[in-house]
Amino acid sequence: MSALRRTGQALLAPALAVVIALVISAAVMAAIGVDPARAFSVMVDFGDTPSQQVTAIVVVLNRAVPLFLAGLAVAVAFRMGLFNIGVEGQYRMATVVAAGVGASVSLPGPLHVLLIIVVAMGVAAIWAGIVGVLKVTRGVSEVISSIMLNFIALGLASFLLTGPLRGSEPGASIVTTTEIPESGWFPSLNGLLGALGLANPPRQLYGFLLVAVVVGVAVAVLLKRTRFGFDLRATGLSASAASASGVDAKRMVITTMLISGAVAGLIGLPDLLGSDHSYGTQFTSGLGFLGIAIALLGRNSPLGIAVAAVLFAFLDRASVPLQIASIPSSVVTIIQGTIVLAVVIANEIARRIARRQAESGSAVAPPAAGDGSSPEPGSTPPTGPALTNATGSAGRTEPTGSAQ
Amino acid sequence: MTESAPLAVELRGITKRFPGVVANKDIELRVARGEVHAIVGENGAGKSTLMKTLYGMHRPDEGQILLGGREVVFKSPADAIAAGVGMVHQHFMLADNLTVLENVVLGAEKLHGIGGDARRRIVEISDAYALGLEPDTLVEDLGVGDRQRVEIAKVLYRGATTLILDEPTAVLVPQEVDELFGNLAELKREGLTVIFISHKLDEVRKVADAITVIRRGTTVGTADPRTTTAKQLAEMMVGAELPTPETRTSTVRETPVLQLRGVTVAGPGTRPAVDDVTLTVREGEVVGIAGVEGNGQAELVDAVMGLRPLAAGTIVLGADDITSWTTRTRRERGIGFIPEDRHRQGMLLDAPLWENRVLGHQTEAPNAKGLFIDRKAARADTERIMREYDVRAPGPDTLAVALSGGNQQKLIVGREMSAGPRLLIAAHPTRGVDVGAQSVIWELLKDARAEGMGIVLISADLDELIGLSDTLQVMLRGSVVATLDPQAVTPEQLGGYMTGAVTSPAGSVQ
Repeated sequence: MSALRRTGQALLAPALAVVIALVISAAVMAAIGVDPARAFSVMVDFGDTPSQQVTAIVVVLNRAVPLFLAGLAVAVAFRMGLFNIGVEGQYRMATVVAAGVGASVSLPGPLHVLLIIVVAMGVAAIWAGIVGVLKVTRGVSEVISSIMLNFIALGLASFLLTGPLRGSEPGASIVTTTEIPESGWFPSLNGLLGALGLANPPRQLYGFLLVAVVVGVAVAVLLKRTRFGFDLRATGLSASAASASGVDAKRMVITTMLISGAVAGLIGLPDLLGSDHSYGTQFTSGLGFLGIAIALLGRNSPLGIAVAAVLFAFLDRASVPLQIASIPSSVVTIIQGTIVLAVVIANEIARRIARRQAESGSAVAPPAAGDGSSPEPGSTPPTGPALTNATGSAGRTEPTGSAQ
Repeated sequence: MTESAPLAVELRGITKRFPGVVANKDIELRVARGEVHAIVGENGAGKSTLMKTLYGMHRPDEGQILLGGREVVFKSPADAIAAGVGMVHQHFMLADNLTVLENVVLGAEKLHGIGGDARRRIVEISDAYALGLEPDTLVEDLGVGDRQRVEIAKVLYRGATTLILDEPTAVLVPQEVDELFGNLAELKREGLTVIFISHKLDEVRKVADAITVIRRGTTVGTADPRTTTAKQLAEMMVGAELPTPETRTSTVRETPVLQLRGVTVAGPGTRPAVDDVTLTVREGEVVGIAGVEGNGQAELVDAVMGLRPLAAGTIVLGADDITSWTTRTRRERGIGFIPEDRHRQGMLLDAPLWENRVLGHQTEAPNAKGLFIDRKAARADTERIMREYDVRAPGPDTLAVALSGGNQQKLIVGREMSAGPRLLIAAHPTRGVDVGAQSVIWELLKDARAEGMGIVLISADLDELIGLSDTLQVMLRGSVVATLDPQAVTPEQLGGYMTGAVTSPAGSVQ
């Protein structure tokens, strides 16, 4: 029961924040002459026919998969108190190199896909590792170096795309890498939709969804259940206490950046392996920065990040129907921005309340026998702290808004 | 208690509840004007809650607060300050890179501005109460005693006539304590009222005019310091007899556990923080390190724990040269660590108790199962520690921040003892803990010593050092300047060595 209440309390703040953000957004819409009610109804309208509705859901999920991975990559580092702002550059580098490698080899199906995945994770991990090495050896703030490396990564990716890895005809308006052969495509999950008795939409549901779920579970287990995860979270809570406990802070920084980078390497793959099959000037950008917002929104927990990713994907999908209904699609950006702001504020308030409850609970020890014997199990009153666990510990590790 | 003048502070039937707990119940407190009134009680007895009530940080559920005979209601500390109640916190709240003047004026700019008027007022206060403050000194250049006087000046500057001092002597060496008591006498002479929270009973008896004892959230009585012994007071506080730190039968064996040879640690300037320290800790021996804080003890501890690199020298644990070992290996191979600042190095305040039980022993049974943390076993073992070491908390999922200092420290001691270390580094093991927890920790250290554990004890409490140690090493400016026999030295003599006033090794056993 306490677990249930704990979850309830953990969800209350973000849920409330989302509602407040919607109210603020509605006010902004009204101010610019858009009818909020109509905008919201367009956003939640998934179409009339079953096929249209399933398509809308597939679009949301396909968008949510890379967002989820981006949030995860950021959160792994956040949990240790590291701000990996370089996810954007890491995944762009990873995707262009993986696309090049994938197009240049020919392997049997699963192996081909596996190779591309490994290359992408490796490239992004190395790129993120640079940040870790700089921090450990030269004391360079990871915020600065990862932002700077973004620019280098974007430049380098453009160079690779227009130079060595160019696959499109000279003079084509859209420059892309050579298309990956079909053995390197990730099969879609449309068969599964059919098996569930849903209409088979024209869109392909990314099979990479399964990879994302596996990675999400793996990260959750890593953080919550392993010795490594304990060291990582301990460092995030108190670096001094962690090193006194025997955590090697330098190794921790590098390992964490490598893991964060490896996850970041996956961000571009759902699109690359599921629909585009090549990297080009039109490839989805900005996912790394959205990942920061999603990690914040999901309070750095894999489950929360999944919810946040679906929410953002849902809002993203709405931008096309909004334009069709001649409502500015920037409404979506406004909502996303206010949600992030509101959640950051709500989390901070929740953290302070939790902390205050915990501290006031300490004002007196539970009644105990005067002779120093331990109190009876039943005599200890249930104080606030146990219930506020989730809010307290998750909130602490969160970066402040200044990180963005 | 039949003075005709109204009491400076009177609390009637104060009751304060927090969800699930009654922190204060029917508190009665009567403080006469111009007296130093001590409030003593174990940590967690409800002293801080009561002082927070009096200082307006929260409102009582029942009861009245009377100042000078008139009932008052404080909505915030600002109301309390306006009514002349000021608080000097245990942990100083000063900005190091500002001057004394700036620190005092900060937040009270409206009173006398920030210029000449303010300066004059501060000098007046400093002279009137013999605080000896220089307005333009940077706070970072001040010692602990001076910082405390700046805190007192801050409160006086805001016009307080009643001062609450929360554990003011916890951070001071004996000479500084005497100076503080001198300052308190000045305050008293000028008609100010001082409420003094402490659990150092000898000091309380020395400085207080009246004592109120709090136990388990309620006042159990008042005492006259002239006629009450420290022992009687302690019994009122804990309801049990107080043990002394003395351990007189030697359990020292031949085998060395820890040998430091020429250990040198680089300091911030040209002078090394630890300078060529050589010492040996044998099985069953407590080696006490005495010294005024900041003379290299903390750096020495860091060096032994592997948290700070050596500039020169070797560290040998048992038969192994551990100089190049990581902190984790050192801990795994049998070094237990009770850090000086438990909030900084010993605990994750925002994590539950069971995770704090794992901290520092992440790789050891019962916490680890292969590469995984065994959450169930760690929780169960936390419950065992809570039971065996009398850690008072609702359960292993309680956040560490919710525990009083004494209970946090008992958890740390229990955790370190549970691993069965060969060597224990105990830095200020009873700092900021109450009498009850203090005696528990002393007993644990004595038992461990009897079982053959080697212990390095760093402490600012000279009675504790003299009482528990088999050998005393005095550190001054990074070097060991004297090796003393604790049986042949008084706290005053030891203080002399610590400050460098005495250099001839009178009680030396070398």
